[in-house]
Parts: sequence; structure tokens; C-alpha cells
Amino acid sequence: MNQTLAAQLLFALYALVILAGGLAAVLARNLVRAMVGLVMTLFGVAGLYLLLNTPFMAFMQILIYVGAVVVLIFFAIMLTRSPAGGEEAKPRAGRQALLAGLAGLAPAAVLGAALLANPLASATRPAEVELKLLGAHLLTSYVLAFELISVVLFIAMAGAVLLGFTRRKGQ
Amino acid sequence: MTPLQLYQLAALALLALGLFGLVWRRSLVGMLISVELMLNGAGLSIVAAGQLTAADNALAQLATLLVMGLAAAEATLVLAIVLVVVKRFGHGESQDIFELRG
Repeated sequence: MNQTLAAQLLFALYALVILAGGLAAVLARNLVRAMVGLVMTLFGVAGLYLLLNTPFMAFMQILIYVGAVVVLIFFAIMLTRSPAGGEEAKPRAGRQALLAGLAGLAPAAVLGAALLANPLASATRPAEVELKLLGAHLLTSYVLAFELISVVLFIAMAGAVLLGFTRRKGQ
Repeated sequence: MTPLQLYQLAALALLALGLFGLVWRRSLVGMLISVELMLNGAGLSIVAAGQLTAADNALAQLATLLVMGLAAAEATLVLAIVLVVVKRFGHGESQDIFELRG
């Protein structure tokens, strides 16, 4: 079937983009390059959301992550004036690389083994959920979670303002 | 391999990369980038589980939206904390800031 082949090819392409971007995000010496790798990964995940027939999530991914979170990270990089020859660029011991690799691979290996040992029945063509339905759910069944996330965002914003606030001397 | 397993393996790769980066990185901003990778993997895993099994599709998408909201809140707070650390220590690297003083 033609559509299946196209889906498989696109999945392989997006997985490659995610892997390459993730490796750049984790290993790049320069933090700005690491951020560009993160952007690449985010676009790859947005492509996977499109393949899963959830276009709304793909747009939200690009809007929230690439539009807001990455800009915040860029602010953090620029405001900390990370020196080019700082700690990040110094060579590291091979033992450290081994331990870090172990820390990353051990949980993933356990979860991956569990995943491969228990194959669940999987749909081949996911159904799209109407946007109207999502909005209705957000305002009826899941209204508590919706309100709580707005409270969390407000508190995070207030906390950020409070932390960045410098008190004048004598007050 | 079923499609569900492939999507979950992609999410697992993001988790492994994020955990590796969290240990490997020496600057606070680099660690923040690794955490964002992991949160993205969590979102992908939830949406794949909702879309490809008999679970409620709308619930999975709303859960991932909440994860995205939490990631935005977390990035805001980490930016503020990094700014405070830079003001106090002069740099944003994690090597010198592990000491507590009461």
C-alpha cells in the first residue's frame, strides 16, 4: 500500500531528525548550537504528531516550545554570558562519559525491554479528534486540571518576577 | 514491530538523551535543554498511547497540553533561578554551587 510506505518513510525521516537534533542538543560545546539542536528535535516531534493525526498538538508544539520555551532558553544563554572557553568546553574523563551513558541508557533499556516483551494491539490509522470536542472536554470534564494549570503558570510568573526583583538598599 | 512500539521507542530515545545530557552537562542552561528533551519524549509517548490504542484520544491530547504548560512554567522559573545564580556567583555553571550554607 502506497500510504503505508509513505508513512514509514516519513517516520524514519522524523526519527532521524529527532536523533540528530537530540545528539546536537546534548553534546554541542556551544550552548547556542545545543539550542538549535533542541529546535530541530522539537520540529521532528511536531512531525510525528502530524503523522499521529493530531495536527492541533503539532501546532501547539511549535507555538509553545519553539515559540516560547526556546526563546526563554535563548534569553537564559544570552543573560548568563556563558564564556566560550568555560567549563562546558573543557575535556572530560572517559569514566565520566561512561557513567553518563549508563545513567541515560539504564532506565531506557529497562523500559524498552518491557515494551518489546509486551506487544499491545496497535491501530494502524489513528482517528482525528475534533478541535471542538477538545475544547468541550477542557471546559467540562477536565475543567479542574485546566484551572490548576493556569494557577501554576500564574505562580511561576509571579515567582520569576519575585526572584528577578532587586530590593533597594534601606528597605 | 507495531507502530505503537516504534513511537514509544522514539520517546524512549528522547528520555535516554535527556537523562544523559542532565548528567553530562556542566552548565545550568544545558541541563534545562536536557529536561526539555525529556518532557518532549513524555508528551510524544502520551499522544502515541492515546492515538494508537483504545484509550481516550481527547484525554491523551489534553494531558500532553498540560505537560507543555508545565514545561513552559518550569522554563520560566529556571530562567529566573539561573539569573539569581549568575548574579551571586558570576557564572551559570554547576560545579561551584553545590554547597549549602545555613
